[in-house]
Amino acid sequence: MDINIIELVLLAVVTFIFAIDQFSLTEIIYRPIIACPIMGIILGDVQTGLVVGGTYELMMIGNMPVGGAQPPNAVLGSVVAMVFAVKAQLDVNAALGACMIFATFGQYIVTLMFSAASGLMSMCDKAAAEGNPKGITKALNIHMLCLGGLFAVIAIIAYVGGTAMSEPLNSLAEKASWFMGGLSAAGGMMRFVGFGILLKIMMSNDLWGWLLAGFVFALIIGNIDPLAKATLILVAFVGICFALLDFKLTTMENNAQQGGVSDGI
Amino acid sequence: MESNVMTTYKDTTPAPRVEKKILNKMVWRSMQLQACFNYERMQSAGWLWAMLPGLQAVHKNKDDLAASMTHNMDFLNTHPFAVTFVMGIVLSMEQMKTDIQTIRSVRISVAAPLGGIGDALFWYTLIPITAGLTANMAIEGSIIGPILYFIIAFGVEMALRYGLMYWSYNLGMKAVQMMTANAKAFTHAASVLGVFVVGALISNYGAGTKLGISIPNGQTVGEDGETMVDVFINIQDYLNMILPCLIPLLFTLMCYFLISKKGWTPVKCIGLFLVIGIVGGIFGIWAGSYTPLVPVPWNVVA
Repeated sequence: MDINIIELVLLAVVTFIFAIDQFSLTEIIYRPIIACPIMGIILGDVQTGLVVGGTYELMMIGNMPVGGAQPPNAVLGSVVAMVFAVKAQLDVNAALGACMIFATFGQYIVTLMFSAASGLMSMCDKAAAEGNPKGITKALNIHMLCLGGLFAVIAIIAYVGGTAMSEPLNSLAEKASWFMGGLSAAGGMMRFVGFGILLKIMMSNDLWGWLLAGFVFALIIGNIDPLAKATLILVAFVGICFALLDFKLTTMENNAQQGGVSDGI
Repeated sequence: MESNVMTTYKDTTPAPRVEKKILNKMVWRSMQLQACFNYERMQSAGWLWAMLPGLQAVHKNKDDLAASMTHNMDFLNTHPFAVTFVMGIVLSMEQMKTDIQTIRSVRISVAAPLGGIGDALFWYTLIPITAGLTANMAIEGSIIGPILYFIIAFGVEMALRYGLMYWSYNLGMKAVQMMTANAKAFTHAASVLGVFVVGALISNYGAGTKLGISIPNGQTVGEDGETMVDVFINIQDYLNMILPCLIPLLFTLMCYFLISKKGWTPVKCIGLFLVIGIVGGIFGIWAGSYTPLVPVPWNVVA
């Protein structure tokens, strides 16, 4: 594959933007149907971009970034599929197949980034305690810069190394699998720290039963297949009912203490 | 409760209605909700950043602003396009200088269920329909495909963000005025709901944390009565007989204990989980599709 510096720089720039866009900004431009034609313009083949993008988009329906689970990354998937389809002149299906290992690395980077970014939280806490809005802006910028930068690097590797990179990446992925497995397990556990902080503030001794009740309701509803996707809203409805009951009981108690009107019970 | 945690604002005079210009700014800023996404508190930093124009407008007292920023760094996960609904309600409560505890409980109780509704409406309904309409146009080589896709998806997204912001802000203002009569009872009721929802989050979001150890245990005759099939003992199945989602519950309680009783910082807890996770990766303890570093006499299952 011949290397064109202008193409390479533009490719790195749009990958940087798509990487950020997949979680913030519009959250639409990174979708293959839009990202691939844009890459097509850069690589000088819009038609291929439209075909790859349309095909990839259909592939992705039902494979959405929902509920914290990450499918092999769509941004690197479409960037690399485009590079392979246009530069290595693979046909569309072969390009989509060959891009998967890069998409897996995209997923690794997301896991790494979301784990490492937990460290940014202490920086934000400090800025918040000082009432300093600039500190929060800084944390957001650091996160976006790292995420976009890492994605751009993988895109450059795919452009320069071409399909020949698939082999070494595959073996690297195999060797690192225990680490990535452990890291994503750790990533899944980190939310318990967030819950712990919430409970530290919210919890008082008379509320422990409610915590367990919420836990149980979510388990029950979450294990009934037709209801599982709506678990949290259904649990919230039950919770509202309990909250209303609690409101009534507390006001009655207060009235009784103040020697107010008897409720006649 | 620690003495440095404020439970009420110092300046409790309700602030005047937030200007339209600021509300619009918050709508645009809400796009960066996930710009600092992380596994510990998910969208919290992006949430705070989006809320900042409003918070700065209603909290003129420096200590109040710091207190407000601090509690707006709580764990938060909701749908990125529906988040302005939560923002409007929380902003109205901040403006009326509602008890901080109540704001916290209401925020998590409103935000968490919205995530599911948003996913169902947007990712499972609008996007598949739009993609179905436009993907074939693109495959046939028409540039209209992606353009139409962007206009529909982004248009709906921004209309949602904008509409929900104003609707919930006005709704919140009315609701907050109604509840000030019984503020104490309302705070307690909100805490009940908040804690209830956090309990639900533990099993709903935490279910991914499970053991992946599957021990080969000989063979038995298969269902067809002829072929032999391998038998495995999955340790997680046994744990589920004691209590499903036992590990998420224990880990949450452990964090609560370490943070509130032992004075651990969140960063220290994160470090602990990194060690637990990666050591588990070495020995193939946690569920997932990976090969453990050391050979172990069991299979790792997802």
